[in-house]
Amino acid sequence: MSEMNQLVTLHTQSLREPVYEPYLDQLIEALRAARLNNSFPDRRGLQGSLETMQKAMRAKLYEQVYIDARSGMPNMASFTRVVTDHEVAAGSLDRMSDTAHYEARRDEAEVYARLLDKRRYYESISGQPYAPLDENRVQLRRHDPATGTAEFRIDLTKLDATGVYVRINIELTQVAGAWRRKVIDLDADGESAAASQAFHATVYRNASFDAEHLFIHMHEIEGVSVDRVQRGVVGPALFCVPTPEGLVVPAEPEQASPLMAHAWRRWLDKPSGKPELVMSFQSDIAARDVRDEKSNDPLEPLLSSRIQDGERARYEHTRQRFPFKVFKDRKFVATPGVEGLVRAVCEAAGTKNLVYRLR
Amino acid sequence: MSAGTKSISDVLSRDVSYSGEGISVRSLEDNIHKEREVQDGKVDELKTLRERNVEIQSTMTEELKKLRKFSDYMDGTATGGGFWAGFKEMVSYIPGLKSIAISKRSIEELLKQQYHVSARRVKEAAEYVDTLKQSEQELYKEIDRINGKIVESAENERVALDYVLELRDSKATLEAEMQALEAGSVEARKVEADVDKIQALLATHSSNVQLYGAAENRYASLKDNTRKLAETIRNLGQDIQQYTTAASIKLDMASAQIQAIGRAADASVVMLEMKKSLDVMTESMNVTTQFVSDTQVFFRQNLDKLVDELETFDESTTKMLDENLKKSKEIEERRIQAAIDKALERRAKQGGGGAPPTAPSSPPASSSPA
Repeated sequence: MSEMNQLVTLHTQSLREPVYEPYLDQLIEALRAARLNNSFPDRRGLQGSLETMQKAMRAKLYEQVYIDARSGMPNMASFTRVVTDHEVAAGSLDRMSDTAHYEARRDEAEVYARLLDKRRYYESISGQPYAPLDENRVQLRRHDPATGTAEFRIDLTKLDATGVYVRINIELTQVAGAWRRKVIDLDADGESAAASQAFHATVYRNASFDAEHLFIHMHEIEGVSVDRVQRGVVGPALFCVPTPEGLVVPAEPEQASPLMAHAWRRWLDKPSGKPELVMSFQSDIAARDVRDEKSNDPLEPLLSSRIQDGERARYEHTRQRFPFKVFKDRKFVATPGVEGLVRAVCEAAGTKNLVYRLR
Repeated sequence: MSAGTKSISDVLSRDVSYSGEGISVRSLEDNIHKEREVQDGKVDELKTLRERNVEIQSTMTEELKKLRKFSDYMDGTATGGGFWAGFKEMVSYIPGLKSIAISKRSIEELLKQQYHVSARRVKEAAEYVDTLKQSEQELYKEIDRINGKIVESAENERVALDYVLELRDSKATLEAEMQALEAGSVEARKVEADVDKIQALLATHSSNVQLYGAAENRYASLKDNTRKLAETIRNLGQDIQQYTTAASIKLDMASAQIQAIGRAADASVVMLEMKKSLDVMTESMNVTTQFVSDTQVFFRQNLDKLVDELETFDESTTKMLDENLKKSKEIEERRIQAAIDKALERRAKQGGGGAPPTAPSSPPASSSPA
């Protein structure tokens, strides 16, 4: 068994040659193939970060890509490297000699060859998009000073502690009053808005929970009426890369999705012998304008269908107080070798999902 | 033509070739100045690094304080009221929000931001390792070049010395020949003419002996200082690399723990684990801060000393160059004086007036025989 399957620290695996190249290649292709709309984390940024990791590894600036053993995606250390490399690139390029200087001396000493690679790496990533670890925006959609009512959209992208990238859009209406503390503050002209630190923290902390939970949680806040909560999740990813020492796979996939991990483990009994990848992209909406409550997500049924009998009465009472319905969906990108596995999981759950083939 | 005369003729007509671009007091001064500029540039780089080092150190200290504050809150030492008193101070409740508790900041977000800032600081410090390694490489290349100059100067000095000895022997031969000739005869004048030629060549090549010898010594001093500078840079680069590598590894290993504990802290669960995670991060910061402190000491102990040494080197170089200039001038003055003396003597013989010759402190070898 490859040592790359071992955890090097909590939820962390270290991918090196020859695994990182096919692994990152397939992740990048999967993002391209997934046709993500703007309810998901920005595809260009994520793709840019993965490409930066690939370039850095090729330039031998790092010895490994750290991945989250649960989600199968690069972890915070890897994404932070990309961010900090972008941040220091301009300053480092200023201090470095020009490319011709290093090209002329690359055979003189190892340091020149290394600096040439580094310079080319920094030049190649300059101005390219990359994913922030967190990004938060508040947009004012409508403001009626007469009634003190304002409609906002909160847009949060977060590299979640579960190892997946999450984007949350919350549309809400706030009625301001002297007796209430506002969760979102407008500037004096009523044109721009910023969430209070406490409200932002609430959204941030609850980002791991589903749209239904977020809707109820936000709607509980006095003076706030939630219209729509939408979550788009990139990941988890299941991959296998054959090496002479054996297959390299995520070590803890059951912590991301027990159902998918179970099917995956069975599939691994007869692997294809090629690098394979299954990546999922969940969409989860709780909104007033959803007509029918439904989950088309084979991995996450509705809360109402799995709640314990003892809790059902209380749950139904809570839901009656809130005017929204839930729709969950999930699409997949899969290599040909595991496409059958994905279709079987969907069929077993009775869902009809988009499965994009990754060649 | 006798064998001796033929030999002297060979010596006089020989084209003595020195390797390199030729030498003069001015060209030596210019070359040394150019070499010193390389050193000065590297010393300036080190000075810039020292300033940046101070900046990183103060930032790191602030970040470490923040982490320690968190850590102290977690174990209650900040408030003296124990864990819960510390926790209450960290977490506040927004009034008017029914029963929903909202702390002002997400601990997960806060830790993530701190992680990001710390990772950037470590990377900024690590970037200087490459700058230093490039400088070190360039200085070793410079040492190679200086070594070439030293060898060239030594070889040229030897060529000059050999030639000067030949000239001296030829001069002695001619002076002996002259003893046998009638003073003022055509033959004597011819020999005299050859002696003068030899004397002129002696003056030129004696000067070369002196200049190439001085150049060899000065380049050797310059090489010693360049080597010291290269070693200083190499040691500093190795220290920074060691510390930043250690800090980077710790940060890489701590990332998942920091996220996990941040999330747990946000959920008000397993708060004590947060203390453990913070200790991991604090350790990383400690390593980095330690590196900055150590390099400060390193700078104080080495860079300032090095700059002093270079300044001393400057003084001695200037002194040597000044001495050379002075000596060259003296030789030139003696030569001029000899020419004047001879002119005055001839005028006196021809019955003209004029002031008696002023004798130089030591009569030049090229002056007319008594």
